[in-house]
Amino acid sequence: MNQFFLREGIAERLVASFGERGAKWIGALVLAWLPGCVPLRAEAPPPERAVVQILVSSQVPVYDAPWRFTPVRRSSGTGFVIEGGRILTNAHVIAWAKQILVRRYQDPRLLPARVVYAGHDCDLAVLELEDPRELSDVKPLAFGDLPPVQSTVVTCGYPAGGDQMSFTRGVVSRIEVQPYAHPGNRALLAVQTDAAINPGNSGGPVLQDDKVVGVAFQGMPGLQNAGFFIPPEVVGHFLKDIADGRYDGFPQAGITFEPLQNPAYRRVLGLGDDGRGARVDSLRAGGPAAEVLRPDDVLVQVGGFPVGSDGMIPYRGNRVAAGVAFQQAQAGERLKLSLLRDGRPLEVEVRMESYTGDRLAGRQYDEPPRYLIHAGLIFTPLSANYLETVGQLGRDYLWEGLARLTYQLHHLEAEAPGSARPEAVVLAGLLPHPVNADFGVRGRLVVNRINGVRIERLEDVRRALLENQGARHLIEFDGPEQGPLEALDRAAASAAHADILRTYGIVSDQRL
Amino acid sequence: MKPVRLLLRVVVFVLASGTALLAQAGWENSVVTIEVTSKVYDAFQPWNDPTRAVRKHGLVIGPGEILTTAQNLPTHTLVRVQKGGRGRWYDARVTWWDAQTNLALLTAEAPAFWAGLRPAALAGTVARGPEFELIRWRDGNLEARRVEFGRFTVGEGVLGFAPHVQLEVATDLNGLGWCEPIVSEGRVLGLTTHSNGRVCGVLPATFIARVLAAQRAGGFTGLGYFDFTWQPGGNPELLKELGLDGPPRGAVVTQAGREKDPGAAPQARDLILEVDGFAIDSDGDYLDPDFGHLMLENLANRAHFAGERVKLKLRRDGVERTIDYVVPAARFADELVPRENFDAPPRYLVAGGLVFQPLAQPFLRGWGDEWRKYAPFRLQYYQFADAPDGRDSLVVLTGVLPDAINLGYQDAALTVLDRVNGRVIATLSDLAEALDNSSPGGVHRFEFMPGRDLQRLLLDAATLDEATRRVVEHYGLPAASRL
Repeated sequence: MNQFFLREGIAERLVASFGERGAKWIGALVLAWLPGCVPLRAEAPPPERAVVQILVSSQVPVYDAPWRFTPVRRSSGTGFVIEGGRILTNAHVIAWAKQILVRRYQDPRLLPARVVYAGHDCDLAVLELEDPRELSDVKPLAFGDLPPVQSTVVTCGYPAGGDQMSFTRGVVSRIEVQPYAHPGNRALLAVQTDAAINPGNSGGPVLQDDKVVGVAFQGMPGLQNAGFFIPPEVVGHFLKDIADGRYDGFPQAGITFEPLQNPAYRRVLGLGDDGRGARVDSLRAGGPAAEVLRPDDVLVQVGGFPVGSDGMIPYRGNRVAAGVAFQQAQAGERLKLSLLRDGRPLEVEVRMESYTGDRLAGRQYDEPPRYLIHAGLIFTPLSANYLETVGQLGRDYLWEGLARLTYQLHHLEAEAPGSARPEAVVLAGLLPHPVNADFGVRGRLVVNRINGVRIERLEDVRRALLENQGARHLIEFDGPEQGPLEALDRAAASAAHADILRTYGIVSDQRL
Repeated sequence: MKPVRLLLRVVVFVLASGTALLAQAGWENSVVTIEVTSKVYDAFQPWNDPTRAVRKHGLVIGPGEILTTAQNLPTHTLVRVQKGGRGRWYDARVTWWDAQTNLALLTAEAPAFWAGLRPAALAGTVARGPEFELIRWRDGNLEARRVEFGRFTVGEGVLGFAPHVQLEVATDLNGLGWCEPIVSEGRVLGLTTHSNGRVCGVLPATFIARVLAAQRAGGFTGLGYFDFTWQPGGNPELLKELGLDGPPRGAVVTQAGREKDPGAAPQARDLILEVDGFAIDSDGDYLDPDFGHLMLENLANRAHFAGERVKLKLRRDGVERTIDYVVPAARFADELVPRENFDAPPRYLVAGGLVFQPLAQPFLRGWGDEWRKYAPFRLQYYQFADAPDGRDSLVVLTGVLPDAINLGYQDAALTVLDRVNGRVIATLSDLAEALDNSSPGGVHRFEFMPGRDLQRLLLDAATLDEATRRVVEHYGLPAASRL
């Protein structure tokens, strides 16, 4: 007698009705029929037993009042049990979580969980129940391969619109590199499907033959019947990365390459019309690729993948952006590149690094913003989160101020690396008090210098204020040339500081 | 204008009016309708010259003279006028227009047009309401609707960037800004220029009168502006830091203008105490005898025009001094990204299907009413940036007309040229000259501004001219360039 019947208690009823021989005959008929309509697992439990609902209470910092958080927000997503008794889900499901509760399949209890690893760049996270024994009877889901285009997949999760687990079926529509909305400034391999993926599905498994072939993670505004899931390659990279107990992130080489399809350009670089090679257009200053590559080198092969003149590589039956070849490596590994330089073949190795220089240009999670308050002046690093908090480009009255901040955050490093700051600092706002009431500048400006010290990072603000022995603090904004400036009586500022913190209920004047 | 015709028109005019001024209501004899057909810039196909027709108002202000706003007139192809709100349209001619003041003068040759028309008087003093009337022709009938006095303010004009005084009136009327006269007690207080919700902007009559008087006398050199930037001197601690005790006052210069001679222009960290004899308060305002408190920017044009000297009393390094500052002319061409270019038809150059245009705000406005939201950020940001390498204009690759020669570049666009064949590019003429030569390998090398976008592309030099001819023919362009 198999587990299916035992679990449901049907066998006993059949024996009672038809006798043992009759019951076996009927059971054989049902078993023969079942595979055609319901997945039957003689040994394995149904995969949905490993799928959990994740209930999250979260609070997001207020970036222009960085000691403060928004009201608690409740949301839910999906996850599934993987090897090691842990739960895999999307990073965006658990971002900024204050409390995580897990609901097992058809289990009324809420089980507290915590985040073990979060890879916000690839929107994946691993959770652990506070009592891991609660998952000891759950068979973890196994991972399959990248599903072929046109093949059928089933999503499984807890989307909005009901409380019970929901299943949707669809085909793999296409496979290519897509922007990952959660970090905002990363693009990785993703699979598009017409299976419905709705809010709440996030982090749920996408199944094919009972194996996980993806993690549902995002939709795309304006597209109908299009959801996206993270393919096994990206998930595998993440899991391999954390195997050493630390998450480094997807590495980058710092190369911008362009298709090389123009006949004149190919001729000048010594290439015929054979469809080979993409052109190195620019290299990030100080990046690892800048050590071994030059602009107009032709990338012919990356990590064993031949690069086409369209800037793409063949990848498991698909044609995807050559960046995927770089994303196969882990941080710290060396990747072999085959080049043509001045028409001559060349083999080089590039050290892959986990680049954090654009960290603030993407959305940040889980680490509350750094800040420093002095005499009611609120200083915090310029970040994408801050910009999203203070306004939206396109609104005229904010336009010029926000444009300057946007340029500093997203363009200055690439255009003038010498004048970019490692961590531009903004005056986020003022806590009104007589000592600062005459300030004309009310915030939303990059701090250029304080008391003559160029502000490269938040710690410089503290140092510049502490070390000043003059009668006043002089603060210059919006460099590199002259911009607005303000001054503060040093003694009065120090005297007012504690009173301001008390008035506005601020426990700490800094988070550095 | 031929003297005989002018004389005839003046005679008709005097016979019809009997007096030079309209003493009371009777605006139907002074307010006329103007129909302007003008060329509209096509941002992505600048060789096209589509047209648009609009109707606005004009004000008869003298013999053979109609005053209106300059909007829509700089690129006009046909201007007609109509009196009485209905009936025959008469051909008209633009005799003068100025974008910075947003004013224009028209005339019509046909004596019949002028019959029965009488000049309106521009108010010589400033009125503060509380209510005025707005006059407009609507469906052949003259409307007089109440509007409320709002405030006098200083801001850029609708077409230009030279700051000047403006009147704001509050109204529930929609669709204003078509040069409707604002009137009170038989005199014109101003002409509407734009509306935004319940607020309607008005050019004050006293401002108009001063400009017209100078223009008639041949002494109008254009509006000017203060090309330095400043902030209010409201922070006493900052003033102490700059060596000034006492109550907050003045404006602190934060960035010098083009004139670097400290004896002729304010420098960063100067404190401006007086402009043209008016004390500057800690908000950066002065007390105007006519309009009340206004921003100091208005003093560039209150009693001066471009090129004239304005006395600035400064505090610099703890010492007061007075300098004669020459007010620079507000010229679109002096902006790195010009707001307008009315001097010539839209310029472009097509080379092997690559379409280049000067980077200018009209191109950015090609993204529609919400262009600030949708036009490429990096292109827009040049409006706030210093010119790279000191160049005073920029050229942008605005699109690609696909052809065999530009295969592979079909997505390359919206990026600013830096060099072509090694030559720095600031204008389309620079580009045209750079293409007279080629780079090693028999190619033209186009390099773009450093940054995150495409850095360079190459085109075959030997076949470029042939390819350009092919593109011009294939896409129906009138010419490969208009420089």
